[in-house]
Amino acid sequence: MSAVEKAVRREPVIELIGLNKWFGAFHVLKDVNLRVYEGERIVVCGPSGSGKSTMIRCINQLEVNQEGTVIVGGRRFSKDEKANSDIRRDIGMVFQSFNLFPHLTILENCTFALTWVKQMPKDEAEALAMEFLKRVRIPEQARKYPMQLSGGQQQRVAIARALCMRPKIMLFDEPTASLDPEMINEVLATMIELAESGMTMVVVTHEMGFARKVADRVIFMDQGEIVEEAPPELFFARPQYDRTQLFLSQIL
Amino acid sequence: MNNLSPPQAAHLTDIPDTVKVFVPAAARAAPSSTLGATAWIRKNMFSSVPSALLTILGIWIVYTVLNGFIGWAWTNAVWEASSRRDCLDKVGNAGACWPGVVVWIPNLIYGLYPKDEVWRINLAFALLIVWLIPLWLPKVNSKVAIGLSMVLLFPLFASYMFMGGEKGAIWTALIAVGLTGFLWTVLTAVTETLWGVPVLRLVARKFGATTAEAESRIGQVVLLALFGVALFIVFELDFVEVRTRVWGGLFLTMVISGFGIAVSLPAGIVLALGRRSKMPVISLLCTTFIELFRSVPLITILFMFNTMLPLFLPAGVEVNQLLRAIVAVCLFASAYMAEIVRGGLQAIPRGQYEAASAMGLGFWQSTALIIMPQALKIMIPNIVGNFIGLFKDTTLVSIIGLLDLLSMARAVGQDTRWIGLFIEPFFFITVIYFVFCFAMSQYSMNLEKRLNTGHKR
Ligand SMILES: Nc1ncnc2c1ncn2[C@@H]1O[C@H](COP(=O)(O)OP(=O)(O)OP(=O)(O)O)[C@@H](O)[C@H]1O
Ligand SMILES: [Mg+2]
Repeated sequence: MSAVEKAVRREPVIELIGLNKWFGAFHVLKDVNLRVYEGERIVVCGPSGSGKSTMIRCINQLEVNQEGTVIVGGRRFSKDEKANSDIRRDIGMVFQSFNLFPHLTILENCTFALTWVKQMPKDEAEALAMEFLKRVRIPEQARKYPMQLSGGQQQRVAIARALCMRPKIMLFDEPTASLDPEMINEVLATMIELAESGMTMVVVTHEMGFARKVADRVIFMDQGEIVEEAPPELFFARPQYDRTQLFLSQIL
Repeated sequence: MNNLSPPQAAHLTDIPDTVKVFVPAAARAAPSSTLGATAWIRKNMFSSVPSALLTILGIWIVYTVLNGFIGWAWTNAVWEASSRRDCLDKVGNAGACWPGVVVWIPNLIYGLYPKDEVWRINLAFALLIVWLIPLWLPKVNSKVAIGLSMVLLFPLFASYMFMGGEKGAIWTALIAVGLTGFLWTVLTAVTETLWGVPVLRLVARKFGATTAEAESRIGQVVLLALFGVALFIVFELDFVEVRTRVWGGLFLTMVISGFGIAVSLPAGIVLALGRRSKMPVISLLCTTFIELFRSVPLITILFMFNTMLPLFLPAGVEVNQLLRAIVAVCLFASAYMAEIVRGGLQAIPRGQYEAASAMGLGFWQSTALIIMPQALKIMIPNIVGNFIGLFKDTTLVSIIGLLDLLSMARAVGQDTRWIGLFIEPFFFITVIYFVFCFAMSQYSMNLEKRLNTGHKR
C-alpha cells in the first residue's frame, strides 16, 4: 500500500498547517505544511540549521510556533498548558542527547511518567517498564544509573522510556547523531523493529540506509522550508530540485 | 596457521576455520619504588633541595607554634583559681586561666536563661535529635515526610518549650500540632523499622481497611487521635515564662541560625524560581528583593530592622527584638540562597525540562521531581557553605544587644572577678564554632559522596 493510498483511507494523526516560526527576527520555519497518517514513517533530512529540529519540536510544542496550527490525534495545541500536556502524552520523543534523568535508575526513568502522570501503581509500572526494556534488549541494566551505560544503551533506554507511555506517535530528533558507529546500528535496529510494529514515526536523521529501508516518505528541508517530499525510491533516484541533489551528493 | 595466504590475497571465502584467541596479558605489580610510606615521603616531601628545605621549614613552624600553644593552654595553665588575680599571681601571662571559662560555661551555653528552667532547652534539643534519628535509619521510607515535619513543626513546639508562659486556645492547638508531628515521627520510625509500614497504614489495616481510600480515611482518624493525645499533654504542661531578652549563648546562636537555615533554603528556592519566572512582575519582584538584600551588609539590615521597623508599625504593635533579628537574618540568608539555587538550576541542561515536558509532566512536577533534585545535589557544597556562613554571621546580632555566644564570651572579661579575661573565653568559643562548622562541612562531603550516583561515571 503506497503512502498515497493511505492518505486517501485515513485521517492524519499529525497535521501542521501554515507553520511559521521566528527566533527573534530570524525566520526559522516558513509556511511548513505536513500531514502524517497513522502508521506512516517519515524521515526528515536537510542541511544543518535548516529547521528540522525546530519543526519536529513544534509537533509536541516544545517549540511554540507564532503562526499556524498543530493538530495531533485530532486535538489542537492551544494556550492551555494543561490540555497541551494531555496531548503530549500521546507523543513519545527521543532526543539526540538522550536526556535520561541522571539521578534516577534506568527502571525509575521508565516508570517515572507512568507513576506521576498516569498514576499507575508502582509494581504495575515496573512490570510494564521491564517489558519495554526487554524489547530494547537491556532488561539486565534496569538497576543501573544512566551514566553507567554506553551511549547506544542510553538511547535504547530513552526509546523504552518513551514507549512506556504507550504513545501513538514517536518523534526522533537525530537519535544516532552523537553515537559511535558501533552503537548506531543497535539503535537503528531497535527503531526498525519499532517501525515494523506499525508505530507512526517522524525521524530526523541522516542515516539514509534507515530512510531507504523503513521510510514511507522522505522530506528534505532547507532554510526553514520543506523543499521536497517523496517516497524513498523516488527521492534518492530522481530528486526534483538541484538543492536536494547537491545535499544528497554530499552525504551519500 | 602458517599456510594462510597473505592478507591482500585473502578473500571472504578463505577465512580459516580456526581463529586466533586473544588472551590479555596479566597485570604486573607496580615497581616497589612507587609504593609505601617511604616512597610517598620521598616523592612528596624531599623530591628536590627546595622542596626538602620547605618541608623542614614547615615542620619547624608547626613545631614552634604548637609548642608555644601547648605551653600556654596546658603545661602552664591554671585550672583552679577563684579570680583572674589568682591566676596572674600564679603564672602571670605565661599560662591560660581556665577557671574563668569553666565558671562561665553555663552562661556561654544558655545565656542568662534561668538555671532552673535550662532543662527545657535540653529536652527540646533532645527531642530534636530523636526527630532526626529516623532520617539515618535505613529501613525508614517516609524520610521526606519526617524531614519536612521536623522543619515545619518542631519550631511550633520548641518555641513554647523555650518561652513558656500563657497559652491561648490557638497557641495550644499549634503546640499540639507540633507534638503530633513528633509522636507521628516516632511511631512511623518504629513501625517502618519493624514491619515496613508507616504507622497510619498499619493501624488502618488492623481495622480492616483494604482500599487506599479506606486506609487514608482511617489514617486521618488515627492522626486526629494522636492530636487528641498531644492536646491532652499540652494542657498538662505549664511552663514559667522566660523572656527572650535573657536567652543567650550557644542556645541563642542556634535558635537564630536554625531559623535562618530552615527558612532560607525553601525561601531561596521560591525566590530563585520566581526570578526565572516568565511572568515579568514576579520576576522583577524577586530580582529586586534578591539584589537589594544582597547588596546591603547584614549588619545594616539588622540595624534597620531593629531601629526602623518599629517606626513603620502601627503604634502599640510591639515586635520582639529577637524576632526582628531572626527575620532580618532569614531575609538576608534567603537572598543569598536564591542566587545559589539559581546557579544550580542553570547548570541543569535544558534537555531535562524538555524530556520531562515531552512525557506530559507539567512545570511544577518537572521542577520538583526532575530539576530540583539534580540541582540541589550539585549545590550541596554551596548550600552548606552558606549555612556555615550564616552560623558565623549570627555573631553580628551581638551588636544590636542580643546575648549570643560571642557577647557572652565578651561578658566573661567584664565580670569583676575575671576582669580582662578575653583570650580564654574566645578560644573556647572558637572551638565551639569550629566543631559546628567542621561537622557541617564534613556532613556535606559525606552527603555528596552518598548522592554521587548520577553526575559522575
Ligand atoms: N532557541 C533558539 N534561539 C535562537 N535560534 C535558534 C534556536 N534554536 C535554533 N535556532 C536557530 O534556528 C535554526 C534552525 O535550527 P534547528 O535546530 O531547527 O536546525 P536543524 O535543521 O535541526 O539543524 P541541525 O542539523 O544542526 O540539528 C538554526 O539557524 C539555529 O541557529
Ligand atoms: Mg537539529
